[in-house]
Amino acid sequence: MIRLAFRRLLMTPPVIFSIVTLVFFMTQLIPGDQARIAAGRDATIEQVEAMRIKLGLDSPLYIQFGQYLDRLLHGDLGTSVFTYRPVLTDLADVLPSSIELVCLAMIINLAISLPAAMLTAAYRGRRIDRTVRIFVLFGGTVPVFWLGLTLQNLFGARLQMLPIAGQHKSGEIVPRRTGATTVDSLLSGDFSIFLDSLTYVILPALTLSCAFIAVLTRTLRSSMIGVLDSDFVMVARAKGASNLRVLVRHALPNAAIPTLTIVGMQVGWMLGSTILVESIFGRQGIGSYAMTAVLQKDIFAVIAAVLILGIAFTLLNLIVDLLVPIIDPRLRRSHG
Amino acid sequence: MLDKSKISSQWGRLSWFEKGCFVGVISVIVLAVVGPWIAPHDPYFVDLDKSLLPPSSEHWFGTDVDGRDILSRLLFGARSTLLAPLGVIVFAASVGTVIGTIAALNPGVVDELIMRLCDVGLAFPALVLSIGLASALGPSLRSAIIALALTWWPGYARLVRSLVLEVTHKEFIESAKVLGVPRRKIVFRHILPNALNAMYVQTTIDVSAVILVISGLSFIGAGAQPPSSEWGAMVTSGRDYMLTGWWTVVVPGIAISLTAMLFNLSGDALRVLNDPTLKQSRG
Repeated sequence: MIRLAFRRLLMTPPVIFSIVTLVFFMTQLIPGDQARIAAGRDATIEQVEAMRIKLGLDSPLYIQFGQYLDRLLHGDLGTSVFTYRPVLTDLADVLPSSIELVCLAMIINLAISLPAAMLTAAYRGRRIDRTVRIFVLFGGTVPVFWLGLTLQNLFGARLQMLPIAGQHKSGEIVPRRTGATTVDSLLSGDFSIFLDSLTYVILPALTLSCAFIAVLTRTLRSSMIGVLDSDFVMVARAKGASNLRVLVRHALPNAAIPTLTIVGMQVGWMLGSTILVESIFGRQGIGSYAMTAVLQKDIFAVIAAVLILGIAFTLLNLIVDLLVPIIDPRLRRSHG
Repeated sequence: MLDKSKISSQWGRLSWFEKGCFVGVISVIVLAVVGPWIAPHDPYFVDLDKSLLPPSSEHWFGTDVDGRDILSRLLFGARSTLLAPLGVIVFAASVGTVIGTIAALNPGVVDELIMRLCDVGLAFPALVLSIGLASALGPSLRSAIIALALTWWPGYARLVRSLVLEVTHKEFIESAKVLGVPRRKIVFRHILPNALNAMYVQTTIDVSAVILVISGLSFIGAGAQPPSSEWGAMVTSGRDYMLTGWWTVVVPGIAISLTAMLFNLSGDALRVLNDPTLKQSRG
């Protein structure tokens, strides 16, 4: 088990390095002159050339890449040619609100998937199984952007129950501590602002979670069915365990372990899917940041955003892979 | 390969609902093929007098802001909406099959290298890559297809690898080896046909996933461009008129959703056809 964990750990840096390399060279494909963008619209040719030298864009590509790697290892992700701020600072600004969104979306995902999977597995083949599955599947095949627009239209414009876009009421001042509005308002002890900011994040989170609920419910359902058919469940039933007890105490923990891998991946995918959701709901976050960065050919910002998303995905998978054998004693033994 | 006679003999085992899904998928494909001939109006004809008309007998699904008939636009757009995912999946599945098979048949360094390469591919945020590629090649349906194909194959490579590995350890492969069947024949005649059976199910389900992603890319402007009537682009062009003409957004959205759902459910039904044990355990 330790050997397996060690191997997984050892494999992670090469994967991350490949992501860096790929992104760096891919950004070179984006047309447009970085030095000109950085120097500004009215810059003279001399100013553009000066900027080119200042940014190191005059040296060959492989040297630029080497310099970039060197700075990366020192924790410098470069300076955004658009905001003139270190990319790291920019990212630190937007990341918390994306994490806030993903966390809430994951909570919604689990809150719906777990009961739905248990229900459909317990009553498999019956009408309630079919109904719930169709309902969940419908959620999974609705286009994210369309769902976002429809929810905005329904709850925001027509029913006026929830705010349409943004992160908090204009004029409301939330002292910034973490960057996630809900956490900040709680930390500052202002409960009404907390509730308010929660209303802003609920529609985006719901929109984001919908597609993931379908996948999670499906996976969990089929692995629960596998467990329910196994001998030890029959023994439990023979000993008089109630249906609910069989489901919650026996089937769920056993089925949840393989599902954990999916959950880990889903968190990573959710972070990547924030692009659509954040642009629809006008939220600041890594998704909307990445999108503007690409459109403005802000190379360092693009690389940084992709890098953060890629690393997050890789690390989440690593953590889950390391976690699973700890939780599941059977795996610990089989891997020696 | 899915055997045709097998399908016809097992058709009866499907529930009316599953049959309905297959019929639905086929009708969508037929509509996409004949759409341009049966469309009641010209999908690109701008008539500002008819801007944002609600659904009526003349315009079943209403008109958009430029007075174009939404039903006709849907029928015309069905082709690109369906062909784009097809392109992505054919590419991803063929590349994935080749790479996954190579990995499975060469355990050790090759396998490890390929699988780590897949990790990189899977860790790549597909949407960011697509936007990047769209701005590099110019936003079009084609760049969206290329970007997605590039991010989609690692999933197939992994799937095929595990399927091939599973088959390789079956007894009939062992006995073929013992009988002295050449390796190449074992791979192409025995391992691949058996392993790929399960892949067809995945491709059907993936059509629905790719339809959703491509329409999302069109929505943020990295895919099909106006005046194209690709369904995602239709939602985008209607989004500003949501309050005065909900049908401009709701109709193409439901079309995408319904198509995706039909493909998904058919994939499930195919899985049942493929795996008799599943049908029993569902009972």
